[in-house]
Amino acid sequence: MGIFDPVKGFGVTFGMMFKKVATEEYPEIGAPAAPRYHGRHQLNRHPDGLEKCVGCELCAWACPADAIFVEGGDNTEEARYSPGERYGADYQINYLRCIGCGLCVEACPTRSLTMINFYELADDNRQDLIWTKEDLLAPLLPGMEQPPHPMRLGENEQDYYVNGPELARDRGVPEHETVETDTEEAVR
Amino acid sequence: MTVAPEKSDVDVPEGYVKLTIDGEEIVAPKGELLIRTAERLGTVIPRFCDHPLLDPAGACRQCLVEVEMNGRPMPKPQASCTLTVADGMVVKTQVTSEVADKAQQGVMELLLINHPLDCPICDKGGECPLQNQAMAHGRTDSRFVDKKRTFPKPLPISSQVLLDRERCVLCQRCTRFSDQIAGDPFIDLLERGAHQQIGTAETADVLDAASHTSEPDSASAGKSASAGLDSASAGKSASAGGQPFQSYFSGNTIQICPVGALTSAQYRFRSRPFDLVSTPSVCEHCSSGCAERTDFRRGKVMRKLAGDDPEVNEEWICDKGRFAFRYAAAEQRIRRPLVRNVETGELEETSWTEALRAAADGLAKARDGKGVGVLPGGRVTLEDAYAYSKFARVALRTHDVDHRARAHSAEELDFLASRVVSDGGPAGGGVTFSDLEKAPIALCVAFEPEEEAPAVFLRLRKGARANDVKVVHIGQWASPAVEKTFGELLACAPGGEAGAVDGIAQHAPDVDEALRSEGAVVLVGERAAEVPGLPTALHRLVERTGARLAWIPRRAGERGAVEAGTLPTLLPGGRPVTDADARAEVERHWGLDPGTLPADPGRDMTGMLNAIVTRDLDGLLVGGVDLDDLPDPALARKAFDAAEFVVSLELLPSTVTPYADVVLPIAPVDEKSGTFVNWEGRRRPFAVTLDGTGALADCRVLDTLGVEMDTDLFTQTSDAALGDLDRLAAATARAAAPDHPSAEPPAPGDGQALLATWRQLIDDGSLQIDEPALAGTARRVVARMSRATADGLGDHVTVSTDRGSVTLPVEVTDLPDGVVWLPGNSPGSKLRATLGAGHGAVVDIAGGDR
Amino acid sequence: MSTSEKAPLTPVLTKRWLSPQSWRLETYEKLEGYTAMRKALSAAPEQVIQMVKDAGLRGRGGAGFPAGVKWGFMPKDEEKPHYLVINADEGEPGTCKDIPLMMADPHALIEGCIIAAYAMRSHHCFIYVRGEALHPMRRLHAAVREAKQAGYLGHDILGSGFDLEMTVHAGAGAYICGEETALLDSLEGRRGQPRLKPPFPAASGLYAAPTTVNNVETIATVPSIINGGSDWFRAMGSEKSPGPKIYSVSGHVERPGQYEAPLGTTLRELLEMCGGMKDGIPLKFWTPGGSSTPLFTADHLDVALDFEGAAEAGSMLGTTAVQVFNETVSVPWAVMKWTQFYEHESCGKCTPCREGTFWLAQVLERMVDGRGSEEDIDTLLDVCDNIGGRSFCALGDAAVSPIQSGIKYFRDEFLALCESNRPARAAGTVASPEPVPGSDSQAAQPVGAQA
Repeated sequence: MGIFDPVKGFGVTFGMMFKKVATEEYPEIGAPAAPRYHGRHQLNRHPDGLEKCVGCELCAWACPADAIFVEGGDNTEEARYSPGERYGADYQINYLRCIGCGLCVEACPTRSLTMINFYELADDNRQDLIWTKEDLLAPLLPGMEQPPHPMRLGENEQDYYVNGPELARDRGVPEHETVETDTEEAVR
Repeated sequence: MTVAPEKSDVDVPEGYVKLTIDGEEIVAPKGELLIRTAERLGTVIPRFCDHPLLDPAGACRQCLVEVEMNGRPMPKPQASCTLTVADGMVVKTQVTSEVADKAQQGVMELLLINHPLDCPICDKGGECPLQNQAMAHGRTDSRFVDKKRTFPKPLPISSQVLLDRERCVLCQRCTRFSDQIAGDPFIDLLERGAHQQIGTAETADVLDAASHTSEPDSASAGKSASAGLDSASAGKSASAGGQPFQSYFSGNTIQICPVGALTSAQYRFRSRPFDLVSTPSVCEHCSSGCAERTDFRRGKVMRKLAGDDPEVNEEWICDKGRFAFRYAAAEQRIRRPLVRNVETGELEETSWTEALRAAADGLAKARDGKGVGVLPGGRVTLEDAYAYSKFARVALRTHDVDHRARAHSAEELDFLASRVVSDGGPAGGGVTFSDLEKAPIALCVAFEPEEEAPAVFLRLRKGARANDVKVVHIGQWASPAVEKTFGELLACAPGGEAGAVDGIAQHAPDVDEALRSEGAVVLVGERAAEVPGLPTALHRLVERTGARLAWIPRRAGERGAVEAGTLPTLLPGGRPVTDADARAEVERHWGLDPGTLPADPGRDMTGMLNAIVTRDLDGLLVGGVDLDDLPDPALARKAFDAAEFVVSLELLPSTVTPYADVVLPIAPVDEKSGTFVNWEGRRRPFAVTLDGTGALADCRVLDTLGVEMDTDLFTQTSDAALGDLDRLAAATARAAAPDHPSAEPPAPGDGQALLATWRQLIDDGSLQIDEPALAGTARRVVARMSRATADGLGDHVTVSTDRGSVTLPVEVTDLPDGVVWLPGNSPGSKLRATLGAGHGAVVDIAGGDR
Repeated sequence: MSTSEKAPLTPVLTKRWLSPQSWRLETYEKLEGYTAMRKALSAAPEQVIQMVKDAGLRGRGGAGFPAGVKWGFMPKDEEKPHYLVINADEGEPGTCKDIPLMMADPHALIEGCIIAAYAMRSHHCFIYVRGEALHPMRRLHAAVREAKQAGYLGHDILGSGFDLEMTVHAGAGAYICGEETALLDSLEGRRGQPRLKPPFPAASGLYAAPTTVNNVETIATVPSIINGGSDWFRAMGSEKSPGPKIYSVSGHVERPGQYEAPLGTTLRELLEMCGGMKDGIPLKFWTPGGSSTPLFTADHLDVALDFEGAAEAGSMLGTTAVQVFNETVSVPWAVMKWTQFYEHESCGKCTPCREGTFWLAQVLERMVDGRGSEEDIDTLLDVCDNIGGRSFCALGDAAVSPIQSGIKYFRDEFLALCESNRPARAAGTVASPEPVPGSDSQAAQPVGAQA
């Protein structure tokens, strides 16, 4: 035990005073998660604003926590929400149950369901933690149009799927951001 | 037919052969297909086009195996679905042969190159033979990197069946089914090679039209001829509507499709095989009692599939059985008891306790007054019918019970009591489905098999195709069923059937001769009740020729109701009411004091209705009866209006509801268990599909109602009801044979015609509500008459009586002159409701404006 | 003629072809026409069959099944009507023997039909002519009319008590209808797709009645056998493949055409008859019997072109449609064209042929376009293996034979296509392709279609 030993202990403290602070000022200042962090879900859109979800319910089937409920509906000539025959008429994710495993995303055949890095999934009542389709849908980007509306890109389905993103750019949809926004802009 | 032990000295019975499959010796009946012999050994050879009930095709080439005959290997792998077993054959399947395994993998890869990868959203995904076999016998990766063949999808080939041509593997099961089994070859292959596809005449026109419009200026000389043809045919289809896939059995093609190419408009994308709960069930629509599989999810029936019952429906059901089930989930279904408010005169929802008390009080009062009649309707289960039967006798102390919500006669009562009830069913030597297939002759009298009992039609057709069963129809015109059973029509005027049967030895001696041969069968429909003397004539015919007779009613519950004694002359088990011993036996069994049961028969349905009008009857207890089905709907309305007290046990608001004082909701078949007795007399028990919905079966409601009226029926559950019925041993006495005079059909005067009618399978029946896609496959509603009768009437005919009139387009058909045929209950042709007339009536005909 | 005198031309079927108006009954009767028929009608049907058996006549449609044996399969009783159907749906790429025969000598066919029908107790004969062959059809119609007027057809032919009706039917242009059961379906008015065998046509063929389907050339040979006798017939050709055969030589030769020579003639001899290779450009590859038979190369010049010889050398005799290609033709390109033909003509009934030809054509098109890879060659061979012998009828086998043999003999050319992006232009060995005679045919007869 030396005479400086008690002071030595403060050395660490002093030393830390000149280092970068690791504490996150949350919630006063936001703390963005890594861009590819698996936070809440998002229902993506085609570049003209139509929904990608076809109401197939595979996400609900893949979910090990039974957190997803989907019910499909028929698109009609008058009211088209997605290209093709069916769309997700009712879509709910119960964040009390969701364990964020991402199996639903893997199951999705149309890449409609992805996860964004928004993670503030806490609330003081159960009802608000059941997110519905309105909450989950990706925001409309420039050039997109709120469904229902007919398929706007290309003459036929082949065109729509294959050349859609290209045609969308002419309508002002920003490049690389046509379908899956993974930034926090998409917060509700 | 068991697997032979591994010894070479296996006994080979006569008609069998011995062969070796994968080193194991097996004995197989001659003519068996290799693929099935292997299956009995436990080796499943993958296949698509093969189906045990269809003729072999050998089209998909998935079932290739290596075969050695007489020590010489065959140079190429053989399709085991077309190869019959032979003595000394040595077969190597994919289990032991690399060649066979590679061949199967190769074919699988070829099948998959043009198959879309849409399993995640495909209805078949999860129960798909292609998916399963690709997992079992396919490569893990695809070498195909080029362009897949694509088609626009889906293509509706009828309002109910949708075709996704990209998914189709062209196994031709659907086309072979519709050609061979149903006899409606409205779909076939179109185009060739890689462009080959399934289509109808209508879709073929669509294709032509599409190719035509894509090059509108095809004015080149070579093109113009074919373009002209195309537009001509397209124009034709636009005007005549083409020939859509109009078949009563189209749904089966969806079920046997080994991929997701055929889907139904009703089920498409509604759920997935792996989230359905399946229960075996029995069809509630006709008297065939087809086995079904009911799939439900989230408390809602999503689809019905044909069950596999080789003795009854094999693997087929009609579209009505498959698609008509949404009535049970209809918006307007009655789910709570209703009691009529005395002050307002409105029906009001109330509790079960209150409703039952109100019903019991009202019924007891009416019973103690002039009495109560019971009309259970023809759609009851055996147990429910028994409960009605017992309730009438025990709680209401009457024989006034009649389930026949249709044309009926006293002669029919005698006929049912003497020839139909308690004939022992298949075990007791009654006519069965299998008998139809092997009979030398099947004579259909006043019976339209395709419309009234489709499973019977399929068997008749199968018999006619495979075993040359001679099908003879006594009817009015060569309906599709006559043609498709390769049948012979003995045409007679409506009402003249009795005369035709009596005179068969004179005008069709060959038929008479055939009826005398072993196994001959006579089938009679419920329409017989409308023809005076026909039941008697049939009785005479079978007594004379020794042919066996089967009564095939239209509704599922009729035969069971006869057994349960919901007839004014019959007690349960076929006991005649007039037989004192039978009455005493039933009284003992029911714990009644001797002499409680009245000794005289009760009134039949029309008798009861008349009695109410004349104030000789006070109350009515009604099951599922539609007044417009009754022989005289006007009389029925008058009677119901006059009745002091009416209790209705119903599922949906009906024509009875406005007259009911108490409405008690009951369970549809999906929500209860029970037993239908099909026309063979075979019991078709089914368990509850949707459990815990709170809906009660009729027998349960009547039991509780009985308790309220201080009697105990012991029919709380269907098991209890059936047990109670079965403890009554079958009757020994039999009623006397019918003996009623027949009448010549009336001669229509000028501007008049005799009305021939029966109901079409798909029509305006109350169990077919909420099914627009099914309704789209109904047959065209037309009035049929001979050219001479139609002469001068124009395109449309108005058929009228003093009650009303029906106007329909005319179709000239091979009817006898002076006869008009109309469908019985189709849109725009509801004969009982509008004309108040039935089969054999005289009606006025005139040219009609549309 | 520039050919040497040892060229063994044996004009039997073709001997009347150059006579003026050879298609008229008058001409035919002058040149021993309808004499064999008289002989045959005076004999018993069994004797006729025996004679044809003795002659060893083998089917000329491709498979080479002995005609007499085939006739013998017909039931002896006449419970159901018997039918004789002539397969004149000649559509095999490169094959042109039946159509010229019907053009030049239709009465030979009709006389053969009468004899054959008599031998198998048939009273109705159908001639199913390829729909595109309009001119021969007109000649046939006229010939049938003439024959009928002369009493050779119809009721009680020449007082023998034998009746025969003859119907000339136009096909609607499908290669598959050269397959005998597909032909029967088509004749019945159905979709032309091969039927499941058994039952074989001899038991249940046209309208489910006993039927024999024979090739035009087979039947047209019959009168000369009846007249010449089996020994005379056997003097030509080899022990197992006796008789003369029309070799239809096409492609890069000086004088393409039909050369009737005994079976067993070699290509070297045929080339001599044809005046050698066109413009002296050396031979590269050739087909012995249409595109459905595996290719031969210059190494096979001395292969005896009879049923056994061709099979021994790894090909088939087929319809003896000898297509000759010189050094200017790219093998992958020719193979691609043939494969496109089979893709177009596959009937679609069975999976391997329907999907396989679709795939093969795409791969070959890609390779010829220079977008192929070495793995594609293996894929081609493996897919061929999965089609050959697995398909419902012989069309699948036929479709793969040019690919398999093409890769077998000319793998280097396929490899060269895969080396760079556009090797077809870059590589010196492969010149720009030239149209291949015969490959543009729209319909043909599959090998094995009939005997």
